[in-house]
Amino acid sequence: MKNLVIRVLAVMLVALMCVGLFACGGNNGPANGTTAGTTTGTQNPNQDPTVEEDFTGHKDPKFYTYNTYTSLSPSNWNELTYQDNNDTQIMSYIAGSFFSYDFKYDEYGEIVPGEFVMQYGAATKLEDVTDAYREAWELPEEGKGYAYKITIREDMKWDDGTAIDANDFVYTMKEQLDPLFQHYRADSFYAGSVNLVNAQNYVKQGQEGWFAADGPYAVYTAEELDSKIVFTLAPAGPLSVGEDTVDAEASFRAAMGFPASYDAAKTAAYLIANYLGGSAFTAEAAAAMEGKTMAEIKADATLKAAWDALIGWWQTDPDEELDFFVTYYTFPEVDFDEVGIFVGDNNYEIVIVLSQPLDLLKDDGSLSYKAAYNLSSLPLVHKAKWEACKVAPAEGATLWTSTYCTNALNTASWGPYKLESFQSGMQYVLVRNENWYGYNMDEYKGQYQTDRIVCDTVKEWNSAWLMFQKGEIDGIGIDVTIADDYKTSDRAYFTPDDFVGSLQLQSDATQLEARQSEGVNKLLLTYQDFRKALSLSINRADYTAKCTTSSLAGFGLFNSMHYYDVENGGVYRNTDEGKKVLCEIYGVDYTQYEDLDAAVAAITGYDLDQARELLTKAYNEALAAGDIKEGDKVLLTFGTGAINESVQRHFEYIKTAWQTMAVGTPLEGKIDLELKDFAAAWANDFRAGAYDVCMGGWTGAAWDPGYFLLAYLDEGYRYAAAWDTTKVMMTFTMKGVGENGADITETMSLMDWYGCLNGYSDAKYDWSSAALEESQRLQLIAALEKEVLKVYYAVPTYNSFGASLISFKVDYVTYEYNTFMGYGGFRYMTFNYDDEGWIAAVQEAGGTLNYK
Amino acid sequence: MYMFKYVLKRIGLMVMTFSIIFVVCFVLIKLLPVDTTSVGVGEDATKLLTQLKARGYDRPIMEQFGLYLRRIVLDGDFGVGVSMPEYRGQNVWDVFIEKLPPTILINIYSSLFAVPLGIALGIFAALKKNKWQDHVISTAVMVFISVPSFVYASLLLYTVCFKFDLLPLKMASLAEANNNYFSWTMFKSMIPAVLAMSFGSIAGYARGTRAELTEVLTSEFMLLARTKGLTKSMATIRHALRNAMVPIFPSIVGEFIGVLSGSLVIEKIFTIPGVGGLYLTAINSMDYDFYMMLSGFYLLVSLVAALVIDLSYGFIDPRIRMGAR
Repeated sequence: MKNLVIRVLAVMLVALMCVGLFACGGNNGPANGTTAGTTTGTQNPNQDPTVEEDFTGHKDPKFYTYNTYTSLSPSNWNELTYQDNNDTQIMSYIAGSFFSYDFKYDEYGEIVPGEFVMQYGAATKLEDVTDAYREAWELPEEGKGYAYKITIREDMKWDDGTAIDANDFVYTMKEQLDPLFQHYRADSFYAGSVNLVNAQNYVKQGQEGWFAADGPYAVYTAEELDSKIVFTLAPAGPLSVGEDTVDAEASFRAAMGFPASYDAAKTAAYLIANYLGGSAFTAEAAAAMEGKTMAEIKADATLKAAWDALIGWWQTDPDEELDFFVTYYTFPEVDFDEVGIFVGDNNYEIVIVLSQPLDLLKDDGSLSYKAAYNLSSLPLVHKAKWEACKVAPAEGATLWTSTYCTNALNTASWGPYKLESFQSGMQYVLVRNENWYGYNMDEYKGQYQTDRIVCDTVKEWNSAWLMFQKGEIDGIGIDVTIADDYKTSDRAYFTPDDFVGSLQLQSDATQLEARQSEGVNKLLLTYQDFRKALSLSINRADYTAKCTTSSLAGFGLFNSMHYYDVENGGVYRNTDEGKKVLCEIYGVDYTQYEDLDAAVAAITGYDLDQARELLTKAYNEALAAGDIKEGDKVLLTFGTGAINESVQRHFEYIKTAWQTMAVGTPLEGKIDLELKDFAAAWANDFRAGAYDVCMGGWTGAAWDPGYFLLAYLDEGYRYAAAWDTTKVMMTFTMKGVGENGADITETMSLMDWYGCLNGYSDAKYDWSSAALEESQRLQLIAALEKEVLKVYYAVPTYNSFGASLISFKVDYVTYEYNTFMGYGGFRYMTFNYDDEGWIAAVQEAGGTLNYK
Repeated sequence: MYMFKYVLKRIGLMVMTFSIIFVVCFVLIKLLPVDTTSVGVGEDATKLLTQLKARGYDRPIMEQFGLYLRRIVLDGDFGVGVSMPEYRGQNVWDVFIEKLPPTILINIYSSLFAVPLGIALGIFAALKKNKWQDHVISTAVMVFISVPSFVYASLLLYTVCFKFDLLPLKMASLAEANNNYFSWTMFKSMIPAVLAMSFGSIAGYARGTRAELTEVLTSEFMLLARTKGLTKSMATIRHALRNAMVPIFPSIVGEFIGVLSGSLVIEKIFTIPGVGGLYLTAINSMDYDFYMMLSGFYLLVSLVAALVIDLSYGFIDPRIRMGAR
C-alpha cells in the first residue's frame, strides 16, 4: 500500500513538473501599443548623425531593417544559370532593369487603381532599328520589331565601383550562350520570347543527334524536310526506330502531357480512343508509321491517309506537322559575331537582332508594357569575378561550370542592394548598394527607405509564425490553421492571382456508361440540368470560407486578374460584357437592378430550390429515357492527384452539398461521392473518362483572355474531352466589325469562332488583337465564355487569393493589389519604426505582438 | 597479438563491406531514370539531357564509377550538386563540411549534457531503489522515452522561447555570432535544440544505468566487497559502477560517433543549418554526387563505429578479449 501511495505521488510530481515546464501562460495581448503610422526613430550607430536625409532616404540617419524569411535557401542567383523562383529571390535585389512599371498617379497624387506607367531605368532610350539592319541580317522584308537599339545610362557601376557599359552586356551574352557551359538560361534567348538571331545555333554548334523536329527547323517545307524527319509517338529515351537509336521525342508528346509510361502503341491507342476513332488513323497504321520518314509515309496510300487524319485533327497553326517528328541534325559552327547582339555606335548602345519580332514600342514611340514584360533587362555578370569563378570540366565530362553568385564573395550587384553575407540554409543579408544608378534618379526620389534586408531560412511555418509574433520577421503568409482568427486583421492583405478553381464534370457518356454497375448510375451526369443542379447546390461564399484560406467565390472563367486591354488597364470581368455573362448564367435579371455592378453583386451561384427542381427534372427525363432505373444510386468518383488534408476538406464539403441538394427529391439518400487518388496521371485520366469529377483550373495568359479560352475550348487542353467544340455550333452577331461598321451574323463551331478571335490563318475572319480593337473583341470573348459556362462541364467555384500579414513595423504604399506593381515592394515600402524603435515597441508590448 | 590480428581482420572486412555497398549504391542510383523532360513553357526541352550528357552521365555505369573514383582519389573532387534546389552548382564536399559544425556542436552539447545527467539519475535511482526518488525518476524516464523528441522540441519552442522569451526562437547565423560557433550568442541560440535532443538520451541512460546498477548492486561480489571493509560508496564506485558500465559505455561511444548525423526534425524546428535531412533530400532529388558522398561517409562512420564499439568492450571489461581462442 505504501508503495502504491508513493507511486501515485511520484506520478503526480512528474505531472506537475511537466505542467510547470510546458504551461502556456495567458496572452498579454500587447499589440495595441504598437500603432502603425508612428515613427519612433533612433540613430544608427553606423552612420553619421549629422548627415541630413536626402531624397532617396538612404542617408537618413535612422536605420531601417526589413526582416523576412524563406523556407528554402537560394543556392544559385546567377542570371545565367538560375533555375527557379527560389534563386530569383536574391537576383531581384542585386540586378537593375532597363525598363520598369510604376504606379500611375492622378492629379491629386493618388495612385490610380489597376493602372500603370512605363519608366526607363538602366536604359535611357529604346529605338526600333529594324530597317537599319534588315538587309545585313536578312530580316523579313516587311514588319517592325526585329531589331532594337537600347541606349544605357553612362553612370552605371558595380557595387565595387567598376564601370558598366554596353560591352559588358555583350560579353555576358557571349558567356550566356557559350556552348561549353550549356547554361540553364541560354534557351531564354532562342526558345522564349526574346530570340536572338543565331543564338540557338551558337549554343548548340557542333551538337549532333536526334532532336524534336521543331527544334532545329522552325518552318516545315516538304521539299527540304520530308526525307529528314522521322515520325514517332514514342517517349524520349533509347528506343529502336529502324536501325537507329533515338533519344529524343516529338514535341507533340510534351504538348499533350504524355508520361514516359505511354509508349508508341499506348499513345496511339489513347489518340484513337479519344480523338481519332473511326478515322484512317488506326493502331496498325500508327505502328507502321513509327520510324518512317515523312517521304515514306506520303509514298504509302494507307499511311498517307492515316497521316492526313492525324494532322487534320491536330493542326491549327502552320508548321505543326513537325510536332510529330524527330530528326537527326548537326548544328552548324557559328561565330559569335553572327549572333544578334552587339555594341552600337558607342559604348552605351546595345543592339539586339531578333528572329521573331517583339512590339516593345507603341505607335508613338513610347514604351509598350511589353518592354518591361519581355525585356526588363539583359543578363549581366561582373567580368573579373565571372572569369575567376569558372570551373573546368571534371575528367570524363565536357561541361564547364561556374561558382559565380553562390556566396557573398563571388556575387556582384548592379541593383539597389548588394549581398553582405550568405550562410546556406541559414540566412542572407542585403544592404544598400550605394553605387546603384537609381539613387541618382528623380524617379526614385524618396523611395527605397529600407537600408538592410535580412532573410532567414525557416523551414517550418509554425516557427516563422512565432517569430512574426515576436517582431522578428515582418511579413508572413496566413496558414489555413489561423485563417479564421487573422484574416480579418487590420494587418492582413490579400493578393489575387489569375487562377480560377473549378469543378470539372465528366463529359464522356460512353465511359460513364461503361463504369456503371448494377444499381450504380453515372449516366445522369450527361444531363445538363443535373450538372447545373450540382453547380447551384454549392454555396460558393461558404465553400471558400471553409475550404480555402482567403479565396473568394468564383463564378466565371475569368477573374479580376484577366486584362483584355493591358495598356489601358482594362479588366475583362469589369466590362459590361463580362458582367452580363455572369448575370445570364446565374439567372440574375440585371434590368431589375440599379446597374450591372449591383446585379453582379447579387450573384451567389447558390439556389437550392432551383437545384432540386433541376435534379428532379433530370432524373425524370433519364428515367423516361432508360438512362437510370428507379432505386439506382448515383455514385460519382472524385479524382485527385494526391489525397491530402486540403483535398479531403474540399471533397467533404462538395459531397455534403450534393447530398443536401438531393433531400426532398427522388434521389434523396442516393447521391454519393467517393474520393480516389489518380496520382500524376489524374488530368489525363479524367480526360480519358476514368472518373467523374475533379478540381481543375488554369493559370497563364492573364493578359490575353481571348487566347486563354483555348484552355476550355481546345481538345488538347480542355477537361471536357468529349465535348466536341468543333461540332458545337453558335450563332452570334459581331456588332460593328463589318464594312462601314456593319454587323456580321454567322453560325460557326465554337472552335471556328475561336479561330476568328485569334486570327487563325484558316479562320473566316481575322478578329485578332492585331486586326480589331480590344473593346470590339470583348463581345466574342463574352459569348464564348457563356457557351462554356452554360454546358456546366466546368463549374467555377473560387477565385484564388493569397492571404498575408504585414508587421506593424512597415507599410506598403497601397493595399490594393496592382498587377504590374504588386503593392509597391521595397521601392515604396515605408517604415513606421526604425530598428531600435521597433525593439522598444515590441518590448513595450510585452514581447509578443497581437495581430488579431 | 590476438587483438592486433583481430583488428586487422575487422579492418579488412570493413574495407570489403564498404566497397561492395559503395558499388551497389552507385549502380542502383544510376539505374534510376532521370526526368530530363520537365522544363517550363518557352524552354528548350533538350537542355537537361544535353547537360547530363556533357557531365558524362551517358557513359557506361562502370566507366562512370571508375572516373568517379579517380576524381576522388586524385583530385579530392566529390562533384557538384545538380538537382537539390538549395545546393545546385555547389561543391558537395564543401556543402557537407559547411553544414557539419552546427550538427556536431548540437549533438556534442547534447551528449555532454545528457550522458552525465542520465547516468547520475540512473545511479541515484538505483541507490534509492523503490523509494519515492526512484519512482519519480522512473516515471519521468517513462514519459520522456515515450514521447518523441519533436514533441519536446515544439513545446520548448513555444514555452521557453516564445512564451517566456528565455531563449532565441532560432539558431543564430554566423553573421549574428561574429563568425564564431563558440560565441555565447551562438551557444545560447543552440540551447533549445540541445535540450530537445537531450531529454530522450537522459531518460535512456538513466533507465539503462538504473537497471544495470540495480542488478550489480545485488550481486554476491558486492557483498564480498562490503565484507572486506569497503564502504558502500567505495564498493559502488570501484566495483558496481565499472561492471554496470559494460553495456552502457558502448552506447556512449555510439552516441559520440552519432554526432555526425543530424536530426531532420529538430534541425527543421529550430532552424539549424545542419546535415539532417541532407541525405534524404539527395535521394529524393536524385542528386548523384551528394548521394554518393553522403552514402560513403555514413557507411564509413557506421563501420568504424561498429568496430570501435566492439573494441571498447575490451577496455571497459578486461575479461573480454577480442579474437582470443
